[in-house]
Amino acid sequence: MLDIKDLTGGFDGNEIVKGVSLKVNPGEIHAIMGPNGSGKSTLSKILAGHPVYEATGGTVTYKGKNLLEMDPEARALEGVFLGFQYPVEIPGVNNAEFLRMSYNALLVNRGEEEIDPLDFDEILDQKMKTVDMDPKYKDRFLNDGFSGGEKKKNEILQMAVLEPTLAILDETDSGLDIDALKTVANGVNRLFNKDRALIVITHYQRLLDYIKPHFVHVFSDGKIVETGGKELALDLEKNGYDKYIASGN
Amino acid sequence: MSSLTAETGLTPEAELLESHKKFMEDKSSSNFSSLNKIGAQQFEKLGYPNSKHEMFTFVNTKSVATGFVSAKGSEVNKGQIAEFVYSGCERSLVVLVDGQYRENLSDLSDLDNGVKLVSGEEALADSKIREYLESSVQDENDTFAAINAAFCQDGLFLDIPAKVVMQSTIQILAISSGANGENESSYPRVLVRVGDLAEAKIIVRYAGLKGNYFVNSVQDFLIGNGAGLGLVQVETDQKEARNFSKTRLILNRDSRFSGANVSYGSALTRCHLEARLKATGSEFRFNSVGVLEKKEQVHHYMRVYHEAAQCSSDMHFKNIVNDQSRSSVDGTVIVEQDAQLTNSDQLINNLLLSDEAHADSKPNLIINADDVKCTHGNTVGQIDEEQLFYLKARGLSEAIAKTLLTKSFAASIVETIEFPSVRKNVEETLLKKLEANDG
Ligand SMILES: Nc1ncnc2c1ncn2[C@@H]1O[C@H](COP(=O)(O)OP(=O)(O)OP(=O)(O)O)[C@@H](O)[C@H]1O
Ligand SMILES: [Mg+2]
Repeated sequence: MLDIKDLTGGFDGNEIVKGVSLKVNPGEIHAIMGPNGSGKSTLSKILAGHPVYEATGGTVTYKGKNLLEMDPEARALEGVFLGFQYPVEIPGVNNAEFLRMSYNALLVNRGEEEIDPLDFDEILDQKMKTVDMDPKYKDRFLNDGFSGGEKKKNEILQMAVLEPTLAILDETDSGLDIDALKTVANGVNRLFNKDRALIVITHYQRLLDYIKPHFVHVFSDGKIVETGGKELALDLEKNGYDKYIASGN
Repeated sequence: MSSLTAETGLTPEAELLESHKKFMEDKSSSNFSSLNKIGAQQFEKLGYPNSKHEMFTFVNTKSVATGFVSAKGSEVNKGQIAEFVYSGCERSLVVLVDGQYRENLSDLSDLDNGVKLVSGEEALADSKIREYLESSVQDENDTFAAINAAFCQDGLFLDIPAKVVMQSTIQILAISSGANGENESSYPRVLVRVGDLAEAKIIVRYAGLKGNYFVNSVQDFLIGNGAGLGLVQVETDQKEARNFSKTRLILNRDSRFSGANVSYGSALTRCHLEARLKATGSEFRFNSVGVLEKKEQVHHYMRVYHEAAQCSSDMHFKNIVNDQSRSSVDGTVIVEQDAQLTNSDQLINNLLLSDEAHADSKPNLIINADDVKCTHGNTVGQIDEEQLFYLKARGLSEAIAKTLLTKSFAASIVETIEFPSVRKNVEETLLKKLEANDG
């Protein structure tokens, strides 16, 4: 589904991602772990098409298409979803209305008709239950004044509604208490199936107790320096990244 | 020295005085005659301002020095104005055409008991009203308000007696007919008195039928002790039109004013707002939003005088400027010596959608009392890249995402408009302008 080959890139001529190769097949969950500032978010933003971050080399193929050539909105419409590490606040834009517009954009892209607002409301209510979100958040402005945890839940709500094929979750677990973490992991697992794929970026092995990865990648200084199974996460938690950082320099 | 106008080779001063002389000779004497004379005298004192004049820093006054030919007040029928009437105001509607009160177009059947409406000519028969207006012209600092006094021949006077809590919302619809060719001027004048402990809701809407008319109005609102006034002024003029207005508000003890101004954009709109918080406990709130494109211009000049203790004022302007449009806000709050415990906040936010658009802000404070809490500030920004990316990453097109963000910028002002039908029109029509630019 996703094939990243020798990808390099960054912002303003600063190379942050320094040669990443990663293959993700349908039905797979990949975890990426690595120290602060190693370039994990930069990689995810290059994949989502953020205008500040540019790929300078390598290729990214998604469902057989050159992902890097697509506009960010086209990537979203083709089923790529980035759960942001730091979701922006957008005062003045209604949370539920925005999500309906987004949902409709997907429908229209598939050649279907826009959904009746009342029908959408039903879907939304049901999805909000699965992530344990109070209905009052429908009428709030998008992420405006949300706590860190509420913002992350809102990201997962969006994912639950939009049902992406490839979700990249950038530290969605940071800022969540254990109950919220379980709820969020539940929401993610519910969505996951053999046709979909997931990349979770995290600092905490704890998340991987609930979202069970097939592969764990260690990310250091812009590169994947080690790949293993679930046990790698436990090792990282115990021994830290020191040996990878040392080898990186 | 002022420049000469193209057609006559006279200075704007000379041309105006010349046409005023003719105007006075032609018209038969009326209750307005002495106001007209005083207006012309005040104009002579003030002179015709150029862009070096501190009140007109951002305004090209030359473009309205166009002969000052008074519009004749042509025939207009109900069908022509129907689209300008807000729903809910059909039976509390007061119509002025080229500054003249039109009984046949107005409908007062829903007006609350005791509310009195008379034409300007009738109102000026009352010596107290005449004295108030004449003395306000003698103190006038705005040349265009003096010109209005020099030429106005009618208008309307609305009297809301003490303790009347109005159920209906009155719409004052000032129509410019543009019927008699290019460059004609009209001089609407509105005087509203809200009696002690009364509550009033008023919408003032400017609209034009055609042409590049110049509407130059003066509005006085006298708010009694403990009284409340909700006012929204909406400029929905023809695109080529020029619209200058001077609004004077007098707030008495414990009175409340909550106002909004909405500019749909025209060749040149200028709003001069003067508010005097005369007695303790009065409260002034004012919000303004403008959405401009092409070469449209809207300029706000505001002076808020805190003349008594324990009053508060809160002003918020938002302008969205696209293409080569221009906006400016020149707002000063003056806190007089006796106005202790004043609270005042002024904020100006501008959103630039194009490199060629301009938005000038001059928020200012003059404080002569020592125990006050006053703030002022302004921002100029573009569409936020991170917000834009967030929306696009959820599948929204660039155009839709930009529109959504621009609307969200206006939202905090739009949602304060107390009148649902005005708000709806703003959302459906004014904010549509933002979509038209999506390309
Ligand atoms: N727009 C930017 N401007 C300046 N520096 C940036 C920008 N984006 C990323 N960086 C820098 O690039 C490096 C990689 O950042 P990135 O956010 O990708 O790291 P990360 O691995 O996601 O870290 P964390 O675990 O803390 O989230 C950091 O040093 C960061 O400060
Ligand atoms: Mg990060």
